[in-house]
Amino acid sequence: MTSPHIRQPASVQRVMLTVLLALAPGIAAYVWQIGAGILVNLAIATAAALAAEALVLKLRARPVTPAVTDGSAVVTAWLMVLAFPSIVPWWLTVLGVLFAIVAAKHLYGGIGQNPFNPAMAAYCAMIVAYPALMSQWPAAGHGDFAAQLQLILGGSREVDAVTGATALDTLRTGLRNHADVHTILATGAFGFIGGRGWEWIAAGYLAGGLFLIATRSIDWRLPLGFIAGMGGTACLFWLAAPERFASPLFHLASGGAMLASFFIVTDPVTAASTPRGKLIFAAGAGIIAWFVRVFGAYPEGIAFAVLLMNICVPLIDHKTQPAAFGQRTRP
Amino acid sequence: MSLPPSAPDPALPPGDAPAPIPARQSPALRGALRAAFGLAAFTAAFTALMAFTHEITRERIRAAVAEQQMRLIDEILPRAHYDNALLADMIDADGGSGGAVGRIWRARRGGEPVALVFETFASDGYGGRIELIAALDIRGEGQSQVRGVRVSAHRETPGLGDYIDPAKDRDKEHPWIAQFSGVDAGLPIARWAVRKDGGDFDYRTGATVSARAVTRALGHGLAWVNARKDALFAAPAGARPGADGQTVEPVSQ
Amino acid sequence: MNLQRLKESARNGLWRQNPGLAQILGLCPILAISTSMVNAVSLGIATVLAMALSNLAVAGLRRWIAYEIRIPVFILIIAALVTVLDLAFNAFLHSLYLVLGIFIPLITTNCIVLARAEAYAAKNSVLDSTLDGIMMGLGLVWVLALLGALRELIGGGTLFSGIDMIFPGLAPLNVLGGDYPGFLLILLPPGAFFTLGILIAGYNAINARRAARQAAATSPPASASAP
Repeated sequence: MTSPHIRQPASVQRVMLTVLLALAPGIAAYVWQIGAGILVNLAIATAAALAAEALVLKLRARPVTPAVTDGSAVVTAWLMVLAFPSIVPWWLTVLGVLFAIVAAKHLYGGIGQNPFNPAMAAYCAMIVAYPALMSQWPAAGHGDFAAQLQLILGGSREVDAVTGATALDTLRTGLRNHADVHTILATGAFGFIGGRGWEWIAAGYLAGGLFLIATRSIDWRLPLGFIAGMGGTACLFWLAAPERFASPLFHLASGGAMLASFFIVTDPVTAASTPRGKLIFAAGAGIIAWFVRVFGAYPEGIAFAVLLMNICVPLIDHKTQPAAFGQRTRP
Repeated sequence: MSLPPSAPDPALPPGDAPAPIPARQSPALRGALRAAFGLAAFTAAFTALMAFTHEITRERIRAAVAEQQMRLIDEILPRAHYDNALLADMIDADGGSGGAVGRIWRARRGGEPVALVFETFASDGYGGRIELIAALDIRGEGQSQVRGVRVSAHRETPGLGDYIDPAKDRDKEHPWIAQFSGVDAGLPIARWAVRKDGGDFDYRTGATVSARAVTRALGHGLAWVNARKDALFAAPAGARPGADGQTVEPVSQ
Repeated sequence: MNLQRLKESARNGLWRQNPGLAQILGLCPILAISTSMVNAVSLGIATVLAMALSNLAVAGLRRWIAYEIRIPVFILIIAALVTVLDLAFNAFLHSLYLVLGIFIPLITTNCIVLARAEAYAAKNSVLDSTLDGIMMGLGLVWVLALLGALRELIGGGTLFSGIDMIFPGLAPLNVLGGDYPGFLLILLPPGAFFTLGILIAGYNAINARRAARQAAATSPPASASAP
């Protein structure tokens, strides 16, 4: 696989197209297991992202065409939609995209300048602003497109028929009621290792992620760091008290762990840039995500963890800068 | 405490003056003493101002606190229903009920029992402890009903679990907490649960934990109060009902 | 009263040295209490009273305050006056007192109050100092009012919620209607930072534009055409 010749630095557009392609298996699994509602929100988000990007660039008196066609806004929009429940109403998707593009990206200076991952910033803003809507997840096996479409476009929120508690939620609620992990995992919400249906989507992201590593679109250190951070922490607690904590495999197959490993922490703009820094950054995100997930007030902690580690990136990069040849490390 | 004249202490505490003053004072010591006296004088003057304000506002504050306490109670038990001084007619069941019920206020009309207003607590809310206040209408045998329930303190997630507080509930026409009004006090404890757990009560999708905690706590508190209501009414004001709830011992001051 | 003095004092407090936007002092109450316009303005008015009274007391008593102990005496005066305010709120506006809670006593620690006592009232006449305290306080009030109004409107779609705590019988305005889903983020602490940040940005933009216009007016016409 390794090519001996020197590679041209890939253009932004090419990288972004590769990322969108790599998301395809995960999205396909989503449609298969959960339903096609996700496609509607993806389309809405894409349109909103391109419109917002063009509008802001126009206001900032910057060239519109190259930045809009480079695909970065579309990648942000898709990642945000994949992190949201797929049945959120359309206006929540639009609001999230606006927050990601206008506040998290352009207020900080546009592509390449933003310290925070825009998709995760939007997730945090929206889950804090609309926690109820952001906690209604579609259940696997209820892939009724008409019902999902009604929820996305219509005003009514008769959600009980199509939603179900996520694996993380069921586990947390069960533990709160003093059940042990083994009993909880035996209920119908769970499949082989993670949430029923959702584990296939996680597998889809994993496949896409391996493709990204194989094509060298992303650095293997970032997903490895995240998986090691989250899995390692989960493993420690699981070994210490298996009746109170779920296995590392469960954690990695649930929630947004796979999406985050290969598509979120790998964002070249907001991740650390030195080799050692990348490992520290991603592992830190994984560790914090596990703690927020298990002990926090919100159902999933990855977005908060990524933002926290985003703030640390300048420090991490500074401390892990490899010394230039002949240069002595300063005290 | 005496100071050597050569080493005056500028940080002399204002309350300690006057110290024994040597015959010859250095200018520094004199300055320090003047500052100390000045500070003491200002302290005395402004303390007097605060004491004066405290004195003239004390009665008004006491009335305001009592009024505030009555606001929640008024929401669940209108004043027209009773004619006794409710806040004064209180017993404390916190110890006797093992924490299931807190203070209990007895509402009477013409000396006859009308309703019991009681505090109860849920320790298993999403954000920790939830404090509730509920009113139980006392009617004939087997006909007592919950009159109303309010959350008096909670730390549930804003926008998610805080709908248990009708002030935060987005559904103003049918607040979640209103479903408890009119529930029969004899409802078996197993049915004091949210529908998801096989009980009788609604919850909001995505935030079951808060509803479950409130419902359960209410069930337990109500069961304790309802089983002992005659004894609770008979107890003298200020008493602490005993652990078995039947013997109600007046508190020895 | 010198009209020039009054104008100068007003311009300083309300705009040029605005405690909220220019000096950025006392953020803790600004951010914590500005979830609704009524709360924000109430705390603002409490601050105006505290500043006016403390400046008045400091200016009136400055002759008897030895230089070395002036800071403890200022703190003593401010703390005592704020305690009086706190008791008065507790007695006469009890439900508002419960909402504002710890933030009334915390006015004592608001650096803007001590800063004005030390920088202005200790050197100026009683009348000027009181006026300065009122103007500085009013500068905080309008920022708090705007912040509270924006957060309340965006966050919940209402204005003047809680007005019945001050004027029983008045009802809040439901500006955006009952169907407005709200925007909880703006009502939570991060929203306070976002909103204040936007206000400060606007303040700086207005100042920059003014400075540019002034520069354009005073400089020769050749450079005035440059963007």
